Amino acid sequence: MTETLTAHLAVPVANDEDARATAGALQAYEFDRVTAVHVVEKGGGTLDKIPLEQAEEQAEEAFEAFRDVIPDAESAVVYHTDIVEGIFEAATDLSASAIAFHPRGGSRLTQFLEGDPALKLVTEADRPVIALPEEHDE
Amino acid sequence: MSESEQELARDLGFLEAYTIGLGTMIGAGIFVLPSIAADAAGPAAMVSFALGGVVSLLAALSLSELATGMPKAGGSYYYVNRAMGPFFGSIVGWGMWAGLTFASAFYMLGFGQYLLPLLTPHIDFLASMSGVGKSVAALVMAALLTGVNYYGVKETGDLQNVIVITLVVLIVGFLSLGLFSGPTIGEFNPHGWPAVAATVGTVYVSFIGFEVIATSAEEIKNPSRNLPLSMIAAVVTPTILYVGVMFVSTGTISLDVLANSEVPVKIVAEEILPGFASFVPGLSPSLLAAIGGTVMILGAVLATISSANASILSAARVNFAMGRDKILIDWLNEVHSRFRTPYRAITVTGIITLVLIAVGVGIGTLAEVASFMYLVTYALVHVAVVVLRRANPDSYEPTFEIPSVLYPVVPILGAAACLGVLVQMSTNMVPYTLAVGSLSVTVPFQLTVVGMIGIVLIAFGVTWYYLYARDRAPSQSLVGDAIAPAPTTAADGDGVYRVVVSIANPETERDLLRKAAASAHAHDGDAEIVAVNVIEVPDQTSLAQDLTFEEERVDRQQELLEAARDVATDLDVGLRTRAIVGRDAASAVLNVVEEENADQVLLGWTGKRSRRDHVLGSTIDPVVSRATCDVTLVKRGAAADSDEEVMVLAGEGPHAPVAAQRAAEYVDATDGASLTLLNVQPPAEGDEAAASPVEEGEALIENLIERADLTETTYETRVVVEEDAEDAIIEAAAEYDTVCAGATRESAISQALFGSLPERLGTELDRTVVVARGSERSPMSIRDAIIKRLEG
Repeated sequence: MTETLTAHLAVPVANDEDARATAGALQAYEFDRVTAVHVVEKGGGTLDKIPLEQAEEQAEEAFEAFRDVIPDAESAVVYHTDIVEGIFEAATDLSASAIAFHPRGGSRLTQFLEGDPALKLVTEADRPVIALPEEHDE
Repeated sequence: MSESEQELARDLGFLEAYTIGLGTMIGAGIFVLPSIAADAAGPAAMVSFALGGVVSLLAALSLSELATGMPKAGGSYYYVNRAMGPFFGSIVGWGMWAGLTFASAFYMLGFGQYLLPLLTPHIDFLASMSGVGKSVAALVMAALLTGVNYYGVKETGDLQNVIVITLVVLIVGFLSLGLFSGPTIGEFNPHGWPAVAATVGTVYVSFIGFEVIATSAEEIKNPSRNLPLSMIAAVVTPTILYVGVMFVSTGTISLDVLANSEVPVKIVAEEILPGFASFVPGLSPSLLAAIGGTVMILGAVLATISSANASILSAARVNFAMGRDKILIDWLNEVHSRFRTPYRAITVTGIITLVLIAVGVGIGTLAEVASFMYLVTYALVHVAVVVLRRANPDSYEPTFEIPSVLYPVVPILGAAACLGVLVQMSTNMVPYTLAVGSLSVTVPFQLTVVGMIGIVLIAFGVTWYYLYARDRAPSQSLVGDAIAPAPTTAADGDGVYRVVVSIANPETERDLLRKAAASAHAHDGDAEIVAVNVIEVPDQTSLAQDLTFEEERVDRQQELLEAARDVATDLDVGLRTRAIVGRDAASAVLNVVEEENADQVLLGWTGKRSRRDHVLGSTIDPVVSRATCDVTLVKRGAAADSDEEVMVLAGEGPHAPVAAQRAAEYVDATDGASLTLLNVQPPAEGDEAAASPVEEGEALIENLIERADLTETTYETRVVVEEDAEDAIIEAAAEYDTVCAGATRESAISQALFGSLPERLGTELDRTVVVARGSERSPMSIRDAIIKRLEG
């Protein structure tokens, strides 16, 4: 049986700004169900970069911004030492049909310092990955 | 956040927490301080290190209780601010931040001192400028570390473990070889005991790191056990190592040479190692010494970097917590959108660290100021424990408590020890005469430089409070409550336990009233129920006008209240009724709660969530978020056949005890009813030799019974072992007639008023579901407390 590509989208969001941009880009298309996913990056035995409380605040703000645009969106917080692995884990748990994300661009240096999550997301996923284009101004 | 999610966020076991603590504690101090300490106190500096360990151990006990009671980011700052209000919060917040910044500068200068001897033989121009060279090295490394934390370059737990293990092995190796070579101590205490006490202040900087475990409390698995254990271990291990290193150092080389060296551990290693040349064929004694010296340098470099890194991160965490409590502008705590780091806080900390290095404050002074600020902090932490114990706010339920034989000895002794060291390090017993014209005043002591800097920093915190924080940060000091602790029930002072019941539906009112009566009966002495019904009148019509037109609604109100009186007579409980006509049912109910000084408000709930405007309903939402007394929400399910089986969820949530009390009250008031306490535990992980899940669950239930003061009640316990706690609870709950759950979250924000689990129970189960929340009384002011005390 073939599955609809957009039956259930897992959509990673990093913060409110990113969530707004991602939701804006996604809005233009049809889909059945969408879950915004925020990965809290854990240190895995060392100090986290930001306190848990602050990380969860970030998640909450991102989800709110996402729902401002797509009110029916569900949300999920995942804790993982690796952001992209966390997204994959969430997609599996949600039985998502595909992962849709909004590439954040930036210079090569910025992407390098981030560990180039977009590349890893696209190359290592176990399900379809949709890259959303910039929102059109109409 | 649901309980199962919370589990995922906790990724630190005992070992991880211990290594985090060790990583910040170990090394930096011990590589740099032996010369400064030997200069100040001679071999007796061993005692200074040991005393530093004792002071820290006392602080670790108090911190463990506070951290398990309030696992929030910010550590000591948060506990002091919560217990004693923003005045002390400002002092401790700025104090910790300054302490961490001074400590970072100290570590970096130590780094420079050790790095230079490694470079100078190879780079000629450095040799000629060694004084400047170490500052430059310190500046470069500090800037580099700031950058690393700004960009959030990933540091993994594995890397940290490697660093910590390397350092422990190095120091243990140093110790054993040193002890083998037979150190001989000369004059043990050349400068007298006051110098030893003052030296505690100098070396205390090497003990400030263990606090990092408290600041990570919300990430630690099974915190009631792992948190105190890892903190104690993280204090005891370095203390033993430090004392040992001091013994070997002062026993191996002469005090003068040691005191004048900037690389004490290196020269000691060079002295020890040639003696072992005969065991290593093929290596000349001088080569062996060179190798040993270099290894110790590398260790020092590693240790100083790792400690400074943790300090910079911790400083940002203090800033975050201060921003959250509105003591500091939140601007500083912006998280970088790409790197997910608190980049502004890190930049500011980094810049101040660089300034401190560049200004050229002596390395000893840097260490002492850091110690000073942390001693002030820990003194206040001990006070905070006492305040919280006495005030006993509902949100404070530590899962680890200082054992009763040690309380209040630990906080009193701990605070006194901190103050004693502070006094010793800040003053010189040299008479000081202040002369203005012909007047002169002689004080028997002089302030040291450290004392002056420390007092200026505290004054800065005080000034900050008056100029910035006072108008912004809500005062929430519990000192008043601690002076005059309130009795647990009938806190309103009139001695009557009053339950306000909002009734709206003739079908459910009987059940609501029965529950209210059960609570009333359970309280000795006077108790009464106030039944309220509100007729809501839309905004556009006047209240009077609408009333005449809607006689029908008024009649229904009268019927409802009439029926309530009948029920009350049946149940043999005092009841008053209040018929209200108002714009908004929620504010009307809240008014009644306030006017009547209610101890509990009871509301019915349909068991549905309304998605958009309200979470649980237009009346429920505001009442739940604003009522300060106990709140109970009842969703009525299928009626029990005969023997009602009541189950209460025995979790770790702050309101579980209230839920258990409610459940016990209902069971007491119903013939043939039985009470079960249910706890769900995940299956044991193979590698950890912890107690079995069932035992752990039983212990939690036991603990809950004590907290809820239900030791007299008959009950059954049941522990379910299942991976997914929420599903297991829902499944088990279906076997009972009535399910009681405590609210799982404290504040009413966003999507869940009571927490997702209780709400799921309410919506998914066709049983009677009772959700209970404890009171959220606003704290008493110090003035009111003293008046109350005097009257009392």
